[in-house]
Amino acid sequence: MLNRIWGIAFNTFRESVRDRVLAALIVIAILVMASAKVIQPVALGEAEKIIKDLGLSAITLFCVLIAILVGGRIVYREVEKRTIYLLLARPVRRYEFIIGKYCGMMLVLGVSLVLMTAGFYLVLLLTGVKPEPRLLWAVLMTGFELAILTAVAVLFSTFVTPIASAVFTFVVYFIGHSTQLLRQLAAISPAPIVKFIGMFLYYVLPNLNNFNIRGDVVHNAPLNPLAMVLSIAYALVYTFTLLLIAIFVFNRRDF
Amino acid sequence: MTVVNQPVIETVRLSKSYRTGFRMKRVQALSELNLQVEQGEIFGFLGPNGAGKTTTIKILIGLAQPSSGFATVLGRAPRDPRVKRRVGFLPESPYFYEYLTAVEFLALTAQLSGVSRSEIPGRVRQMLKLVRMEHAAHQQMRGFSRGMLQRIGIAQALIHDPEVVILDEPMGGLDPIGRKEFRDIIVSLREQGKTVFFSTHILADVEMICDRVGIIVGGKMVEIGRLSEILTGEVESIEITLQGVSGKFRKGLERIAQRSIESGDLLLLTVKSEEDVERVLAIAREAQAKVRSIIPRSLTLEEFFMARVKSAGRNGGV
Repeated sequence: MLNRIWGIAFNTFRESVRDRVLAALIVIAILVMASAKVIQPVALGEAEKIIKDLGLSAITLFCVLIAILVGGRIVYREVEKRTIYLLLARPVRRYEFIIGKYCGMMLVLGVSLVLMTAGFYLVLLLTGVKPEPRLLWAVLMTGFELAILTAVAVLFSTFVTPIASAVFTFVVYFIGHSTQLLRQLAAISPAPIVKFIGMFLYYVLPNLNNFNIRGDVVHNAPLNPLAMVLSIAYALVYTFTLLLIAIFVFNRRDF
Repeated sequence: MTVVNQPVIETVRLSKSYRTGFRMKRVQALSELNLQVEQGEIFGFLGPNGAGKTTTIKILIGLAQPSSGFATVLGRAPRDPRVKRRVGFLPESPYFYEYLTAVEFLALTAQLSGVSRSEIPGRVRQMLKLVRMEHAAHQQMRGFSRGMLQRIGIAQALIHDPEVVILDEPMGGLDPIGRKEFRDIIVSLREQGKTVFFSTHILADVEMICDRVGIIVGGKMVEIGRLSEILTGEVESIEITLQGVSGKFRKGLERIAQRSIESGDLLLLTVKSEEDVERVLAIAREAQAKVRSIIPRSLTLEEFFMARVKSAGRNGGV
C-alpha cells in the first residue's frame, strides 16, 4: 500500500516540479521578499519588522496560491486527461489514489516552504536583520494551514473543474480567515435564519486565523505553546475528515 | 469427476444507464449483455461507434459500476485488487503523463502493478524492446506521435506480465506496419496462454487473429460465436463478368441480376442462385457476349457485420 501511495505521491511531485508555474511562483515569492531592501531606507526604524512581516506574509501568500492553483487541479486533471484509467486499472485502491495525490501535493508545498524560507533567511542576512530561529514557528503554522487548504482543494478537485475548485478553495480560505465575523454576524442579527447560517458556517468552515502567529513572532510577543499544539491537532483532524469525504465522493464515481 | 472451467471474463445480464446533459436525460448504454471469454482465446469485441464497447470495458476494468447484472474477471469482481494484479489494460486513445520519459512512465506503472523493485528495470527494457521503442526510451512523451503513444500503451498493459489483457481499440493510430506488429504481439500472447479481449471496428484485424467475436449494437449483444460458425462459408451470391453485351440484351440481364456494374465494355452482374446463372448465360450466348468469369461469393465479416447492425437498427437496437 505504502509503495503505491508513494508512487502516486512522487509522480504528483514530479509533475509539479516539471511545471513552470511552481518555479515561477517560488521565484516571484523570493523577489517580493527581496523587495524589502527597497523599503529599508524609508522605514524609519521599523525596517526590521517590515522585512520580517513581508517575508513571512509572502511565504504564506505564495504557498496558498500554489495550494489553490496546483492543488485544485491534481485530481480533476487525471480524470480529464484520462490518465486515471491507467492508475485505477492497476491494483491501486481509490483511497490510495486520493492519499497519494494529497501527499504529493504536500511534498510540493513542503519543498516550496523550505525553498521560500531559505530565500527569506537569505534576504534577512542581506538586509542585516538578525535571522532568528523563532520566525520558523510562523512557517510551521503556515504548513499546517496549508495542510487544511490542500485537503479542501483535493476534495473540490474530485468533483468540480479546476477553475471552480480554485474559486471555492479561495472562498474557503477567505472565510476561514474571517470566521470571527461570522460569529459576530450571527450574534447581532435578529433573523433566526441568518443566525443559523452564520453559526453553521462558523463551525463547519476551518478557522484559519488560528494558524496566523506572524504578528506575535515578528513583534516578539510571547507564543502560546498550548494554543499551537491545539491548532496543530485541529489541522490534523480537519484534514483527515476532509480526505475521508474526498475518498467517499471519489469511491462512488464512475469514469 | 468433471472439471468445470470457469470463464476468464463473464458478464451476466449486464446493464448500464447514466444521466447526461442539462436535462439529465437517461441513456441506456448497455442492455442485458451476456458474454463469456474462455482462457487462452482472443476475443474480438465488435461494434459501431457508441455501441457500448468502451462502457463494457470500463466495467470489466472496475472504472464503472453496472446499473444491474454483474461482471466477473478471473472469477471475481473487477474492482478486486487481486484481479487487477492479473489484468493488463490499454485504454482507447491513451494519454500519458507527457512530462515523463517512456522509461519513467513504464517504471511507475510497474511499481503500481506490484512488480518488485529489483525486477522493474529489466521489465521496462523488455517491454521497450517488444514494442520497438528503445530509441525513445529517455525522451519525454510530450513529443510522441499517436503511434508511439499506442506502443507505450501496449507496453504498460503488459509490464506486469498479466494473464488477461483487455485492449480498447488497440490498432487506432497505427500505420499498416504497426498494425501488423500489434497483431503479432496479440497472437504471441495467446501462444503464452494469455487471454486477450479487444474491442475494435477494424474488421480485417478481427478476421485475421480472433478465435471468437461478439457483435454489440446499441448496447445489446446481437451475435457471439466462432468466426467459422458465424461465417458459414455458404455461397451467398455469384458474380458473373461479361464482355461485349449490346444495349438491347442489357435490360434483360439487369432484370435478373441483384446488382449490375458497367465498366467499359465489361458488365459485372451479381445474382442470387444457380438458376439465375443459367438464365444470364443463356442471354449471353444469344447476345454473343464473352463470359470472362463466374465467381461464387460467400458472406464476408464486413457484410455480416453491416447486416447485423442494420437489422438491429430496424428492431430499435440502435
